[in-house]
Amino acid sequence: MSDRQDVVILGGGLNSLVAAFDLARAGRRPTLLERRPTVGGIAVTEEIAPGFKAPRLMHLGGPLRSDLLADLGLDRHGLTWLDSPVLMAAQDGSGRGLVLHRDPGRSAESIAAFSKKDAERWPKFEETVGRIASAMGGLLDLIPPDIDKPAWKEVFPLLRTGKKVRDLGRKDLYRVLRWMPMAVADLAAEWFESEIVRAALASRAILGQAAGPWSAGTAANYFLRAAQDPRAVPSVKVPQGGLGALTQAIASAAKAAGATIRTGVEVSGIEVKNGAVQAVRLAKGDRIETVSVMSGLDPKRTFLNLVSPVDLDPAFRKKVQNIRARGVTAKVNLALGGLPEFTAFKGASSGAAGDGGSPLRGRILFGSSIDDLERAFDASKYGQMSEHPYLEATIPTLLDPSLAPAGKHVMSVLVQYAPHALKEGDWAARREQLGDRVVKTLATAAPNLPSLVERGQVITPKDLEDDWGLTGGHLFGGEESLDQIFTMRPVLGWARYRTPVRGLYLCGSGTHPGGGLTGANGRNAARALLADRR
Amino acid sequence: MAQRYDAIVIGGGHNGLVHAAYLAKAGKKVVVLERRHVLGGAAVTEEVFPGFKFSVFSYVVSLLRPEIIRDLELPKHGLEILPLDGTFTPLDGDYLWRMDDHGRSIREIARHSRTDAETYEEFGRAMQALCRFVRPILSMLPPDPGKPDIKDLLNLLFLGKRLKNLPYEDRYNLIQLMTMSAADFLDQWFETPALKGTMSASGIIGTFLGVRSPGTAYVLLHHYMGEIDGAFRAWGFAKGGTGAISNAIGSSAAALGVEVRREAPVARIIVKHGKTVGVALESGDEIHADLVSSSLDPRMTFIKLLEPGAVSDEFLEEVKHYKYRGSSGKVNLALDGLPDFTCLPGNGAHLRGAISISPSMDYMEKAYDEAKYGAFSRRPYMDCVIPSLTDPSVAPPGKHVMSCFVQYAPYNLKEGPQDWDRQREAFGDTVVDTLAERCPNIKKLILHRQVMTPLDIERITGLSEGNIFQGELSLEQLFFLRPVAGWARFRTPVRNLYMCGSATHPGGGIMGAPGRLSALEVLKDWKRGIA
Repeated sequence: MSDRQDVVILGGGLNSLVAAFDLARAGRRPTLLERRPTVGGIAVTEEIAPGFKAPRLMHLGGPLRSDLLADLGLDRHGLTWLDSPVLMAAQDGSGRGLVLHRDPGRSAESIAAFSKKDAERWPKFEETVGRIASAMGGLLDLIPPDIDKPAWKEVFPLLRTGKKVRDLGRKDLYRVLRWMPMAVADLAAEWFESEIVRAALASRAILGQAAGPWSAGTAANYFLRAAQDPRAVPSVKVPQGGLGALTQAIASAAKAAGATIRTGVEVSGIEVKNGAVQAVRLAKGDRIETVSVMSGLDPKRTFLNLVSPVDLDPAFRKKVQNIRARGVTAKVNLALGGLPEFTAFKGASSGAAGDGGSPLRGRILFGSSIDDLERAFDASKYGQMSEHPYLEATIPTLLDPSLAPAGKHVMSVLVQYAPHALKEGDWAARREQLGDRVVKTLATAAPNLPSLVERGQVITPKDLEDDWGLTGGHLFGGEESLDQIFTMRPVLGWARYRTPVRGLYLCGSGTHPGGGLTGANGRNAARALLADRR
Repeated sequence: MAQRYDAIVIGGGHNGLVHAAYLAKAGKKVVVLERRHVLGGAAVTEEVFPGFKFSVFSYVVSLLRPEIIRDLELPKHGLEILPLDGTFTPLDGDYLWRMDDHGRSIREIARHSRTDAETYEEFGRAMQALCRFVRPILSMLPPDPGKPDIKDLLNLLFLGKRLKNLPYEDRYNLIQLMTMSAADFLDQWFETPALKGTMSASGIIGTFLGVRSPGTAYVLLHHYMGEIDGAFRAWGFAKGGTGAISNAIGSSAAALGVEVRREAPVARIIVKHGKTVGVALESGDEIHADLVSSSLDPRMTFIKLLEPGAVSDEFLEEVKHYKYRGSSGKVNLALDGLPDFTCLPGNGAHLRGAISISPSMDYMEKAYDEAKYGAFSRRPYMDCVIPSLTDPSVAPPGKHVMSCFVQYAPYNLKEGPQDWDRQREAFGDTVVDTLAERCPNIKKLILHRQVMTPLDIERITGLSEGNIFQGELSLEQLFFLRPVAGWARFRTPVRNLYMCGSATHPGGGIMGAPGRLSALEVLKDWKRGIA
């Protein structure tokens, strides 16, 4: 078959699916190739034991850009949203519990048990974050400006965001400038005195990053996430069936629009001739000729594994090599015979959240002080896994009982820090140890948990690299540090989804605005490709 | 009885003196009020033990602005800079010795790694290119992004244009330097642990950050600033110790008509009808002037010396957010002879430069890890010099002084800063033990030992939390954010009260730039009739 394809999309993650949808809707004929048996990338729901379905990797994310949500018409593709009023729960060393709600007043009530002063400041903080994050939100939808020759039509959206930021007033503007380079621990300490509240805020900034709460620049990570989801604590909104149901629905929307999706197809190379894309080579030996390639894979995988060095400027290649993508996150999924009982939330299933529902429906944090989080990070700097890891868990079955047999539950646990590059030993040998440490840490807050575990699944950073193709096991296609965001993501001068290879585009989370399952990268990349073709 | 001056300068540190000298040069009648019996603030030489003179705090000269040396004719007033010959990093069974002879340094690095030796030259060229870009910023008045005036916009445009004209590779390096950690940045260039460890040290000096903290890469540039002036490195000793610099500036100021009063501690700044009119001394005397410039840090100036209500609560809140977090201590040793390093025995030239205990970036980062939780590093980073080898006047014949800068020694110990009174000697022992691992004879040589903890630095010099730069040099406290956003241009919310110390742009080190830049702004206001 020698028909030349229009666009071949590499990888079937959320952003690739969004790009496929947008391109198909614009009348292109994209073909998407996914190596795994299912599309969805890091947003997949899969069976971990007979009758138990769990979010294999990410359990929460987004929300999707609102314009995208409207265009996709996802309800037509069988999606029901579950929106939890409880956002976050944490328990401190002495067994006291903190519950943060969507309603700031109720959060303040819970915070008051730790500090009256903090409880008073909470609504003001919510309001401040909401205001600043909303103003910054526009930045995410932008294709980063070309620094060398800014185009006039791009100046306006930039000015619009700039105007929104200026409308914040001088005080907020100074705050934004001062806060971004700070450590999130410092930001939290400027507002709050209780450790558990500080840690709850910091958690959002360090997820997936090779950074601890004391790392400078993590306040920017906090606001990067908040700009996607403008509230102080991330929202808990998933479709019935989990994030996997979301990516499946986008896939069917893309197909309905005319995209072709092929799973179980591994790409082994991108052929380049005279500086332009020629074809993609498949691992099984076939090749597909194409005008354009849109890669949802991370930049390092795209340029260092798929494009031959002879087709790249060595200086550019060096810069791609310099991109830092040190994965520090592992995943543990548990099939539980019943609901674990937390010391701080006894009888949780029977309405301790006050609205008849459980306080454990949102994120559950294990790590109740900044020092807990920072100590967990320390080990990873020297290639060791944390003795006492920091965990972000969810019990998806509390919102969506259909994921497990009646009366049973699944627990999804993101684990930090588990450095991809271990100093001693390898992950194959350390897998059990990691699982044990996680269960031990969970048991500190929920003592009966170990006895409930029917089946466990440990996904190490090495698995993330081998099975999902994430370089360095990094969830977001490269760290979101100050030098690797906006016009510097993935490489200064190449932040506009185009690459030095003509016809080759990037659309994964390794591009602006980074990770977080918003679909913004895919949509922006599709726009860039369509603009070039015109 | 009240006396009248045009201007009062609070604090006789090098910036206060530079500030006063520039005002006097413009014909103003100026008095400098210093709390201690010696001038210089943290740049003082004191005979701590009979016959042994120490640069008690700051110990090397780095960035003293050439225009200040010229304008104030400092060489005429006794300033003489002696070269500091290279950096010696002792290791287990080996060493890394970079000398001021470039060729020899390259050969030495090649001994550890050939590729590093090649990269080292490329790195030096890249840094020099960036220095040319960054240097003008040091003499530039920070813009105010909140209400930019036409000059700010022009300045920003000027910067933007220069940034645009910067070749792509340089721009890439610049953005990396401004945002990355020293460790990540150096990892991209070099592979030798000792080279990276020693180079990374310059990124963390005086801050409460580790080499892996983003924002520490920028300071690497400072080490190359001097190079384009013709010398290999701008680092050196002042003959007679660091105090000699303060004395030279003081003498120049006096020649220009500045009156300097020692042992004249200021109790408060007098504000009448929203306007600064003078100061009250602890002795009870009042001194009146058209304006007051404070070279103290913002906490001292706005919280200690101003009366409550003189500035808004909102401004005070910002002043409280400004971070100090002293992280270093100083141990001064009077020695009976020269230390003998196991890895390179004898009294060679390696002792004449800086001796850096920084075998790897992991060593540096581990030192920071302990400090984060409120303890001094059990194996600290140290930068030691033996000035008596270059300047025999500071020690009795055959004897030596050794000055050890030690990091991390966090001001805020887990048990609170006051616990330094209990931990002082244990800290001193740790420093000596760390040295003794590399030069076993050091313990026998020690005649006297002076241990300066961050608490001592605060008590003696008045630097809040013992921060040697009057506040951390972290990204959120630089340029138009130093010390408070909207107040980065030396003026304050109180009329006729100015800031002129290291807490203002462009920050600390014996640079003198804040003192000079602020004086120029004061003179501008005077001309406009505002002050």
